[in-house]
Amino acid sequence: MRISRRVLAAAAVIAVLPLSACGSGGDDGGSADASGKIEGDITFQTWNLRANFKPYFEGLIAEFEKQYPGTDVKWIDQPAEGYADKISADAAGGTLPDVVNVSPDLVAPLAKAGLALDLDKAARQYKKEYLPGAWAGHQIPGMSGTYAFPWYLNTGPLFYNKSLFDKAGLDPDQPPKTYDELFTAALRIAEKTDGEVATLANVPTIEDFGRYGVPLMNKEGTGFTFNDAKGVELLTKYKELYDAKALDPQALTATPESSGKKFLTGAVAMNPGSALDLGNFKKQAPNLYKNIGITDQITSTGHVNMYVMGVMVNAQTERKPAAVAFAHFVTDAEHQMSFAKQVAIFPSTAGSLDDPYFTQEDGTDETRVRVAAAQSLKTAVNYTPVLFSEQMKTELRNAVARALQGKESPKEALDNAVKACDRLLQQQG
Amino acid sequence: MNGSTRVRRQLPSSPWLFAAPGLLVIGAFVLHPFVSTVVNAFTDRRTLVPGEFVGLDNFRELIHDDMFWIGLRNSTLYVVGVVPALVVLPLLLALLVQKNIPGITFFRSAFYTPVVASIVVVGLIWVWLLDERGLVNALLETVGVGRVGFLSDQWLLLLSAMTVTVWKGLGYYMIIYLAALANVPRELHEAAAVDGAGPVRRFLAVTVPAVRSTMVLVAALSSVAAFKVFSEVYLLAGPSGGPAGEDTTLVMLVQRTGTGLSGRVGYASAISVVVFVVTVALMLLVLRADRREES
Repeated sequence: MRISRRVLAAAAVIAVLPLSACGSGGDDGGSADASGKIEGDITFQTWNLRANFKPYFEGLIAEFEKQYPGTDVKWIDQPAEGYADKISADAAGGTLPDVVNVSPDLVAPLAKAGLALDLDKAARQYKKEYLPGAWAGHQIPGMSGTYAFPWYLNTGPLFYNKSLFDKAGLDPDQPPKTYDELFTAALRIAEKTDGEVATLANVPTIEDFGRYGVPLMNKEGTGFTFNDAKGVELLTKYKELYDAKALDPQALTATPESSGKKFLTGAVAMNPGSALDLGNFKKQAPNLYKNIGITDQITSTGHVNMYVMGVMVNAQTERKPAAVAFAHFVTDAEHQMSFAKQVAIFPSTAGSLDDPYFTQEDGTDETRVRVAAAQSLKTAVNYTPVLFSEQMKTELRNAVARALQGKESPKEALDNAVKACDRLLQQQG
Repeated sequence: MNGSTRVRRQLPSSPWLFAAPGLLVIGAFVLHPFVSTVVNAFTDRRTLVPGEFVGLDNFRELIHDDMFWIGLRNSTLYVVGVVPALVVLPLLLALLVQKNIPGITFFRSAFYTPVVASIVVVGLIWVWLLDERGLVNALLETVGVGRVGFLSDQWLLLLSAMTVTVWKGLGYYMIIYLAALANVPRELHEAAAVDGAGPVRRFLAVTVPAVRSTMVLVAALSSVAAFKVFSEVYLLAGPSGGPAGEDTTLVMLVQRTGTGLSGRVGYASAISVVVFVVTVALMLLVLRADRREES
């Protein structure tokens, strides 16, 4: 048998062609009808939760399967690092799980590509169970609909090192409450320690601009506005801090993890965190824990920043009733509450924050932080615009760094950042 | 038809049948991604949107993209800084560990250890060493030099990443040179010694010409690897590519631009095509220089 070259070439093309279908997302979202019998196999993907909460999720899944005979939930957990890349690979390859743990910025491109189910159509009956702000957390400017069930919320105080405050001649029991007080204290600490101790270790992010009262985006969601006078004012103040070494010199390349470590080692006087961190301080830096001060997030708006987690249903799942039922089951008041009692997070369901668990202190730091955070969450805001992608974060970060290094004025840097982010926004479509 | 005729008639196609599995694997995992990248470079494809043909738009945009020029500058500097060190230092190291003396295996293994160490672990160790409060700065402070911003200064950061690359690559190229040195005729050294040549003279007149083709190979391999550097700079400079992204290399830019749910796959592919063209040009340049020297 002689095989011609043409036949071989055709065979090779046929073998390779299926791969070229990869990444051809952008299909229509399919029907939003989630009525029907709740049954079948579904996959559920979480974001780095297996290591610490395996028994909780196994129990949750068993309970769901018992309540809905004929269902089978396969649980997948992905590491925190590269989570967005994993989702994008799955979304592009058509292997996105049926139910996915997401944050609002991950939902936006998925919803635009028709991969996130519109819950205003498919699960409207559940809307009243959630805090209105949390339900709105997964709405996308320029699109109608809500694209994920709100899951847990998180916020946190500002931690500070009382001994470093004391050394700089500042009252350790009177931490800064306003931005002006923060900047004054930071300059004082840098001056007294001859630049040895910085007060902050991170450059301002989009949430910082939001907390400072800078308008981040226009109402239509078609352009960014953080280059206004207030934004320039914030960046100018950070430049002063950077020049005086009140902002850590490595802040330009820092990550939240690296700045957290600096706080642990006493190189930095203040660091934002959550109730989760208290346990870390106790275990990893007992001396710091003895000197730990806890104060509220500093804002000019009166609203602290909160992080929202959601549970999205894949619009192209073949088991819509089961997927919607499970996503709701994971995020309903009862299960959010039981999850919140295992870890320092806060439920997004209506009325849950009025539970005594979130309103009564028992004298420990843990409950103090929990009660204060729960209280502040009632008016908290997720400052990060859902359309603000990773590429835009990098643009802002680089612009801030150029301003702090003196390569561009704060105004120029922010103008350039807005221009770059607007361009990326347009390219997103 | 008897059996021998059947065997004879099957013979012309059988090499293709043997090669088919390999060809399929190469087609699926080498050629297809390569062709897709080239095709994508001419589209505005995004992670979740197939995109449309845009001609040379991506390449036009590259010309006006400051970050692309920063990436090209840094990748080129990396080649210039790393390749000479990786051509010369492993050769010297190989000469040191070439002799069969007691305990030499320990040194060979020790020099090879960084090669097999995970780049992430290596990166973390170097970050600890070079941090503002790390070991190196503590030593510098002790001797009165004061702290140096290895990880906060744009140029020092790039230099630090180059140091890590050289440190990690020494053992690998040392092994290649050891194999080459083993083939250098001993008589040449002996004859040179008889003629009164000292160790340096013998190295320059005998060893270097004998391992010249290996040096060319090392130069070609290390220049391609250096131009495509990612891990060392990413680990030391962070995901933003150093202060204001000034330490970004071209491959980091590909990763940053093309990944994530809003990734610009078409634009990242255009950068990849540039990286491909430059690396092929680098290879040709090295080989051509070698040929010219030979002639």
